[in-house]
Amino acid sequence: MSFFGFDTRKPAVTGAGFSQARDPFAGLSEQVDDGEALEFEDTYDGLGDQLDETDDVFNDDTFGDTSGITAAPVGKDFDFFGQTAKVANAIDEEHVRFNRQAPVARAAQPNIQPSAAASLAQVPVTTPSSYNYASASQKPARTGYEKYNQEPVAELQVDAALWGVAPKKQQPTQPAEVSAPTAAPSRKFMSVEEVEAQMRAQAKKPVQQAVPSPAPQLQPQTQSQPAFHYDQAYQYAQPTSLGPIPPEHARLGDQPVHPGQGHPIAILQRPHSKHATPPQHVPQPHAAPPVHPRQQPASHVPPTQILQNPNRLSGDATRIVNQPHGAPPVLPGHPGFPGHRPQGSFSRQPHLMGQTSQLPQMSEEEKAAFMEQEAKRAKRNHKIYLMSRDNGIMTPQDKNFVTRIQLQQLVAATGNPNEHGTDESLAEDFYYQVHSQIQGGQRQHPSQPLNNFAQTYLFQTGSRLGGPRRHNRGPENHMQRMEQQVQRAVEAAKNKPKNKQLVIEGSLGKISFSNAKTPKPLLNIKRNETAGEVHRPSSAHKHIQAPTGRDRKTELRSIEVVYSTLMEMEDHDRTMPPPPANDDDAEGRDRHIAWNMAAQELNKKLWKALRVHDEQANGGVHPFIALLSYSKGKKAMERIFRHTTTEQRATILTLIVVNLDNLDVVRGAQVTTGEIQLNAAMRENVELFSVAVMPTLFNFLNELELDLVAGVLGLVCDRNLDMIAKSRIGASMLTMILSRAESIKREGGGSEDAWRAWDAQYTQLFNLLEPSLPHMFPGTVNTGDDMYVWQLLALIGIGASAEQQQRLVLAVKDRVMDTVTLSKTLPRDLAHHRLGNVNLFMHSIGLDVELLQ
Amino acid sequence: MPEEESAPVAEPLDLVRLLLDEIVCVKLRGDRELKGRLHAYDGHCNMVLGDVEETIYVVEDEGDEEEVKTVSRKSEMLFVRGDSVVLIAPQARSS
Repeated sequence: MSFFGFDTRKPAVTGAGFSQARDPFAGLSEQVDDGEALEFEDTYDGLGDQLDETDDVFNDDTFGDTSGITAAPVGKDFDFFGQTAKVANAIDEEHVRFNRQAPVARAAQPNIQPSAAASLAQVPVTTPSSYNYASASQKPARTGYEKYNQEPVAELQVDAALWGVAPKKQQPTQPAEVSAPTAAPSRKFMSVEEVEAQMRAQAKKPVQQAVPSPAPQLQPQTQSQPAFHYDQAYQYAQPTSLGPIPPEHARLGDQPVHPGQGHPIAILQRPHSKHATPPQHVPQPHAAPPVHPRQQPASHVPPTQILQNPNRLSGDATRIVNQPHGAPPVLPGHPGFPGHRPQGSFSRQPHLMGQTSQLPQMSEEEKAAFMEQEAKRAKRNHKIYLMSRDNGIMTPQDKNFVTRIQLQQLVAATGNPNEHGTDESLAEDFYYQVHSQIQGGQRQHPSQPLNNFAQTYLFQTGSRLGGPRRHNRGPENHMQRMEQQVQRAVEAAKNKPKNKQLVIEGSLGKISFSNAKTPKPLLNIKRNETAGEVHRPSSAHKHIQAPTGRDRKTELRSIEVVYSTLMEMEDHDRTMPPPPANDDDAEGRDRHIAWNMAAQELNKKLWKALRVHDEQANGGVHPFIALLSYSKGKKAMERIFRHTTTEQRATILTLIVVNLDNLDVVRGAQVTTGEIQLNAAMRENVELFSVAVMPTLFNFLNELELDLVAGVLGLVCDRNLDMIAKSRIGASMLTMILSRAESIKREGGGSEDAWRAWDAQYTQLFNLLEPSLPHMFPGTVNTGDDMYVWQLLALIGIGASAEQQQRLVLAVKDRVMDTVTLSKTLPRDLAHHRLGNVNLFMHSIGLDVELLQ
Repeated sequence: MPEEESAPVAEPLDLVRLLLDEIVCVKLRGDRELKGRLHAYDGHCNMVLGDVEETIYVVEDEGDEEEVKTVSRKSEMLFVRGDSVVLIAPQARSS
């Protein structure tokens, strides 16, 4: 809002309207105007003296009631923004009207005003405000309230005039324009078809009309859509009004490009707009007759002026700019819309101007080609401009910073939690650290070194997060550091293949590196049967432990100790120092040794808490097995295995196998051929065991050699095999053992002796198991859920001799037949599933259920 | 009973720790009882319980006779604010 310019310019015209709009203050403002004479004594009515201040009774008169009353009368009078916003349009209108009137007055051309009003009155179609404006303009005296009734939406709109010169000063008076303005507006009601028709007709004429929005650019942004449409319509209409006008004039009029602005919008013009005469050549006289505001003779208008007067730059505004040269003041009707700027973005192509000036000399094809080219170029330039707009926003420091973040993420994604900063980094992402500890912690043994990548990034460059270097390193060496790190990574990669295996002192196996071509083999365990080390820690404490049997509280306490120790060990793992870089690194070696000592202490503590070597109470359950009966005990298994030596794991496995028929999940979960289902708690228990414990054991078993597997099988055979086989966990355990043997066989592992031992053991198992075979299935045939049994049978079948296979088939024949029969009555999917299970077994002995049908 | 030096019962809550991941009965103010798996607790006896069955005892006046009714409901997971906890007890073991 150009309040200032407005008020100063024409207080007389707008005064009434505005003062009325602010009704409540009208009196006040007058008083102020009246002036200096305002004195307190004159205005003071002495009411204050009449108040009895000691009497509170009057307080209501003074304050109480007024609150309710004042709210109403004052109302929105204090809503300054709202009031101003409402008035905003009125101000605009006044502005416009004034612009229109001023030239009239000065030029003494009374006829322009009416025609303008008339033409504008037709414009309204586009926007309500223009309608108001038209009607308002016909009334010399305005109240300022006209708009309120019809325009509920009051918004403050920026008046481009803020930036510019008052329009009126530029408005010249030009005769002979009267007819044109009226004609032009009258066309604005044309329908699209009409417009089209006109355009076609027009195309035949030499005179061409510029495509919509030939508007100038570089103006302030307040673009209003309606205004733009209006503009378009107006331009389409233009040709007709120009009809009678000589071609030269028409061309002038059509030329949307104002030379003064120096930025023709050639792109938007249709090819025929090339006819436009270069502005430079336009003599001023031509400009005058052409009637249309658009027709700019503009050659005199210097660009600077346009910039100063952004309002004029907007679509309609251009006309005003050129008014001095004959544009009628009439059309400025648009100023009501805050400046709009069609296609401003294409503006930056000054070069176009010079070229367009040559257009007339080209042939039609050339022109067309040229214009096309220009359009392309302009588009490209525009794109480049858009993209380059943000160039140089980031400083090198910013880039370094981003690079550093990326690098850190890279390390975090591939690295591991074992860094010495510890507490700080742990506080930052505790859950990630723990997670990677658990998930990514492939380091079976605490002293196993980190992988190469982690070493490269974490230890050779120092601690990633916590170190002091974070605080004192300069911003400029990040790139350098990154380069160094990359270099180290490359070096590490080069070094990797040289030693495919790493044998750590004191470890039980060789750790193999892997790469894409040669995947990491499983641990090669060189087993030496000296279990003494394992026994030592526990034997020291054995006497302390009272053989308490199934003392619930003791068991629970042991589990808690296990968990505390596990947490300590996991935390300790995080603090593992890097392996000494070389033999000279005495300090590093010392640290490593100290760390290993601590780790061993913890390991002992854990081992003790597990009570693996505690004595079994009379007729009771082994303490360790008792721990496994708790769900939290089962859940701890995976973590325990991660922090124990292979020896210890083997011991645990042995212990579990030996006590297989004592496990609650075996003993308490015997399958029956009846319909009796296990209770929910036991089912849950079994489920948990098979999820938490079995995979751990399975993984470990898969690292064992055949002789050990055979030994395990032998242990099983010493137990109550019938009971074991008739439980889900027991059957799974058997499956596990057998499948390990199978995979060793497939790999070609195992010595002759080992296989002989295995075969003997297998035969024993088969003989023991045979009576139980028919009773292993849970529930009846209808129950389903017997896949694990078929899996076991399949593995038994694979390893069986021909004679054994025959016995096997005999044993489970009924179940097979029943299942096949049943599957015929089942839905297809289900039947397929059931038969598939049976086929697991049948295929293993070279048969197929198809043969039975 | 010989205490393990690594797990002394130094304070009452150490006993509660033994009940972690076990089914516990919790008596609350307002005639309520909870039975569920103890997932976590703190020094205020704030607790997180899983698979909880909450029992509310309501005394109804029927004439001159007072009758105790119980309302129970189940929650998958429950946070118990410690200030309402009266008692924590391990569930009597069935096996």
